[in-house]
Amino acid sequence: MYELKAVHKRYGLAKVALRKIDLTVRDKEFLVIYGPAGAGKSTILNILAGITRPTTGDVLRDGVSILHLPPERRDTAMAFENYALYSHLSVGENLAFPLHARGMARAEIDQRVRRIAEILGIGHLLDRRPGFLSGGQRQRVALGRAIIRPADIYLLDEPVGHLDAKLRHKIRAELKALADDLNATVVFTTTSSREALALGDRVAVLNQGRLEQIGTPADLYHRPANAFVASFVGDPPMSFITVEPRREADRVAFLTPDGMPVATLRADALDGLRPADAAIQVGFRSNEVRLAQQGDSAALRGRVDVIEHLGHSKIALVGIGRDQVSVSVPAHTSIHVGEEVAIAFPRDAVHLFQDARAVVHAVPSV
Amino acid sequence: MASIKATGLVKRYGTVKAVHGIDFEIADGEFVAILGPSGCGKSSTMRMIAGLETVTEGTIEIDGKVVNDIRARDRNVAMSFESYALYPTISIHENIAFPLRSAGMNADEIDRRVRDIAEKMELVPLLGLKPQGLSSGQAQRVGLARALVRKPSVFLLDEPISHLDTRQRYRMRRFIKQLHQQYHYTMIYVTHDQEEALALADRVMVMSNGLIQQMAPPDEIYARPVNAFVAGFVGEPPINFFDCRLARDGGRWTLAFEGQTLTLPERLSDTAAQLGPEALAAVRPHFLSIGVNGPLVLEGKVFVTEELQDQNLVMVDVGKVRFTLVAHPSVRPQRGEVVPLTIDADHLLLFPQDNSRRIDDDLAA
Repeated sequence: MYELKAVHKRYGLAKVALRKIDLTVRDKEFLVIYGPAGAGKSTILNILAGITRPTTGDVLRDGVSILHLPPERRDTAMAFENYALYSHLSVGENLAFPLHARGMARAEIDQRVRRIAEILGIGHLLDRRPGFLSGGQRQRVALGRAIIRPADIYLLDEPVGHLDAKLRHKIRAELKALADDLNATVVFTTTSSREALALGDRVAVLNQGRLEQIGTPADLYHRPANAFVASFVGDPPMSFITVEPRREADRVAFLTPDGMPVATLRADALDGLRPADAAIQVGFRSNEVRLAQQGDSAALRGRVDVIEHLGHSKIALVGIGRDQVSVSVPAHTSIHVGEEVAIAFPRDAVHLFQDARAVVHAVPSV
Repeated sequence: MASIKATGLVKRYGTVKAVHGIDFEIADGEFVAILGPSGCGKSSTMRMIAGLETVTEGTIEIDGKVVNDIRARDRNVAMSFESYALYPTISIHENIAFPLRSAGMNADEIDRRVRDIAEKMELVPLLGLKPQGLSSGQAQRVGLARALVRKPSVFLLDEPISHLDTRQRYRMRRFIKQLHQQYHYTMIYVTHDQEEALALADRVMVMSNGLIQQMAPPDEIYARPVNAFVAGFVGEPPINFFDCRLARDGGRWTLAFEGQTLTLPERLSDTAAQLGPEALAAVRPHFLSIGVNGPLVLEGKVFVTEELQDQNLVMVDVGKVRFTLVAHPSVRPQRGEVVPLTIDADHLLLFPQDNSRRIDDDLAA
């Protein structure tokens, strides 16, 4: 188990990369660190590897501080986004390098190199030098070299970021299976929501050096702690409608500025709601809402602003007052820009935010 | 207001041929995405339209006039590049204003236009800054604003939002789409990202090896790809391909694959007859399901399940081929479990193994 305790990292005087981060990496877990560019993801990996020293705070392994341990004395295997390969060695030799260094027998080295190369789709490149590879191929070699040897913890920094969609999809599945097989502890960074949800046992959402939320993919998706996580996890992002509360006996109704009811919740479920005038928003996922049919009780009226084809489905972006809501519809649905539509939403699939913090998630039972 | 027509368009760099003689027409006000992998000729095509590259052979017409010999700046074509080169020493405001000042517009009008575009693109707080303080996403938006501020008649975008994260990408994509709806620019958008191409364009032009593989509306590109290249390049998760053998068994055709045999639907009989014994079959992940749900059932072994919350992706191995299917979040088969895998008979595609045009044109009609 690795722990970051109140880790703060400043570069120079002005640039703060991490702000008092507390983060635990559990044994044998696949932890994804997910956030936009510049969030501080790589800095966390570098601190775990011992390449970077926190400005303040501590790093523990099984309860013991390892701050003083240099990188070579930590049993970490690391793959960088910018793959540093040995240019004078072939792909096969690059892959074998960490195994030679541990004095493994030649036959076993060969076998491991072949297996990893096959998994990553670079079996046909073993005799080539890195200089003759594409960026995506080099990235796979770097990933292979990191995961080929046993290690206490694997630190993978956007290891599939430069690959095309097809390869990413394939290698993602292989990585997940491999990590399961090896019972490995993995910390993996990405800017892709899909990758984070697909791979992580837990996902830590990082934004501007702050840890916004850490939890299982289901936690983040169904119970986002704040509007940032809600809009950053899931594809397409959650949409929001600004509402005003109106008390009705033991209930609170939330209405759009035009007076359309968006949700009605029991008042006792709204402990976190402050009466103050801070803005309240209701969040919807595109697959939790649909175009209303006759007989739907709860419906919001709006106008289609944009239609996006996604192949199997379409997203209609529906303008409601000043807000826009994404609605996922089957590809064959007849719908046009400018059309007046009504959106139906289940009354219990409501995410309520005040001041961008989650107040309540009334989530349908899964 | 501008329509574009290319006839026999060829681009050669020395001995390397980048564009192999293509023909296409883009209507006034149309939004076309040129989609393809790196090196397919899409950027060369765009640069010839912009006038940044000479045309080796063939012609480009804008509004019916051949523009081969007209200089870039006289074509009223604006372009935003992936590498948004901003002027480092002047403010964002001045960067955006630059093309207008060069055109000699008066200062009030410049200021009004810059404000207008900055508001639309959420750049107002940045107007006073210099480019060096910007994130790559912000710099990209400024590059886009600088191209848009001229209100050109043709607007060319070269991978304009490739550096953005998911959330920003949606925002920018919708911004660009609404911009098009509002002003009806003729827009050409070059990208390697199939999702962007489908989401944005009225028509998608898929290129590979310097040739147009297919040019059609997004739903048609997705549902009726003309060949295996298009089928494989478009769609997320990617389409499943498997090599198979076709044979006639009495009145029906059968498909043999990894020791399992399926009887093909009547719909595919003519296609099968034309393709001969060796064929490439393809089915999208949305048209595969676990369980016996139709006549086309294979048996496979579950490799891994990815729970994306709104849906699950299940990888199933049939012999040496790994299939991906999209399932409801409640479908969570165990790794190693042997499961029946049903192919939706209405959506099975057959291609020649040599990847020429698909023959069963009536498919999914």
